[in-house]
Amino acid sequence: MDVVLSIRGLFAGYDRGDILRGVDLDVERGGVTCVIGPNGAGKSTVLKVVSGLLRPRAGDVALDGERISGRSARQILDHGVVHVPQERSLFPSMSVWDNVLMGGYVLSRAALRRRIDEIVSRFPIVRERRRERAGSLSGGEQKLVEIARAMILEPRVVLMDEPSMGLDPKARRVVFATIRQLNDAGATVLLVEQNARSGLEIAGRGAVMETGAVRLEGVARDLLDNPEVARLYLGSAARSLGDRG
Amino acid sequence: MRLFVQAVILGLLAGGVYALMASGLTLAFGIMRVINVAQGVMIILGAYVSYTLFTHFGVDPFLSVLFVVPVVFVLGVVIELVFIRPLRPSEREELSLLVTWAVALGIEGVLGLVYSTTYRSTIPSYANAAWRIGGFAVLQVQVYAFGLSVVILAVLGVVLAKTRFGRAVRGTVQNPASAALLGVDERKVAAIGFGLSVATAAAAGAVYGVVTPFNPGSHYDLISLLLTIIVLGGMGSLPGTVVAAVLMGVSQALLATYISPTSAKLTFFILLIGILVVRPQGLFGAVERGKL
Repeated sequence: MDVVLSIRGLFAGYDRGDILRGVDLDVERGGVTCVIGPNGAGKSTVLKVVSGLLRPRAGDVALDGERISGRSARQILDHGVVHVPQERSLFPSMSVWDNVLMGGYVLSRAALRRRIDEIVSRFPIVRERRRERAGSLSGGEQKLVEIARAMILEPRVVLMDEPSMGLDPKARRVVFATIRQLNDAGATVLLVEQNARSGLEIAGRGAVMETGAVRLEGVARDLLDNPEVARLYLGSAARSLGDRG
Repeated sequence: MRLFVQAVILGLLAGGVYALMASGLTLAFGIMRVINVAQGVMIILGAYVSYTLFTHFGVDPFLSVLFVVPVVFVLGVVIELVFIRPLRPSEREELSLLVTWAVALGIEGVLGLVYSTTYRSTIPSYANAAWRIGGFAVLQVQVYAFGLSVVILAVLGVVLAKTRFGRAVRGTVQNPASAALLGVDERKVAAIGFGLSVATAAAAGAVYGVVTPFNPGSHYDLISLLLTIIVLGGMGSLPGTVVAAVLMGVSQALLATYISPTSAKLTFFILLIGILVVRPQGLFGAVERGKL
């Protein structure tokens, strides 16, 4: 497997102790890797450490063999790792257009102009709703603009934290289809998803996290077929949600 | 009716300067959740620097803004780095009151040592020149002060709306974590934003000294006025600040005209109590982050 992002022995947490207790995970270049697991397993914390929002207490994160753990969010962004967080991350009182421009904050004016043309053609919503306040868009539309904003930098790795959270089934389908398209266009995606079935279905590889560590890792299709995973995370409720979504 | 119109004109002109004074307070609160009670003393500092340039070097007080703004901007950046940055984010809103109050008292003390407590005024040759427009007398300095305030506020508005730095400021105000993920250095935005916020106050101070006599203790009256304006406008809302400042200026002028100049000082108490009873979130209601 051609690994672009490698996580080894990661320990991290907040004031009261470690949430991650020795996470090992590999992200395949050009693929979608989906991390599933129960609430509190540490899935989102992994993404926060990778993007530099949280410093690890121990362990390494390497991008193409270069250690990036412990660096600032800005330095990691400069390495081409973009984080689309779980909560709504648009600037609600700013226009859709200004939000997308903010995605290229670290770019030069010329580079931003070049990139914005491509983003507009790939995400029509950016042009159609450019003058509207981002906060006035629906949840699904906001998520699409967030993804468009993340793609401005042509990231080497996109970290997506529960992109389907709070969306209705139709919006969820659009968001997953968009992630799939981005991946087809060459983007590497590390996806954390509560909606396990939908996440694994668009992924090439998957991992199951529990209590701060990766318990199971492999080809996403194998995880979908794994009876233990199916029983714990793809139960009838998850199946029906996934089928509808 | 004639008296009424005259009072409204005077109030509008004063309100424009109040808007410039208070806009910096709104900016600092919006970006950093810092209530800068040293904003009043920054106005007085601007007034003294302008006064000194005028009396010693003959520099016109309106031109002195070109010197006052960069100097006080640098002072603001230093204050942010030394006094505000060390505060923990979770305690910043409360502790910034104490810290900036200490800064205010310190600067007041230095100004008292240098200039004594005697009231001063910057009096250029045209200080008493007036225009008569439609039968109403308007002091030229008040029009210039208003014009300068409008220009500076317009520049500030354009910077916030149209520039990369402006987007970073608005982004930090609305969602600091998201702005950081996109590469915005919140600490840099805070330092520059705080510098800008006190520089606008000092610019207002340069013209304040032409319109009103001042001494080092004048900042007590000013900060009461400014805090009332930003509460009235809705904490953190720049348009709200401008509207509230104009409302305050006109109300003061009307009270001064129809009751007495002394009671005009009560205006902010009356307006503040009134608005807190009727609309506690202020006119523009920006109680939450994200409205700058």
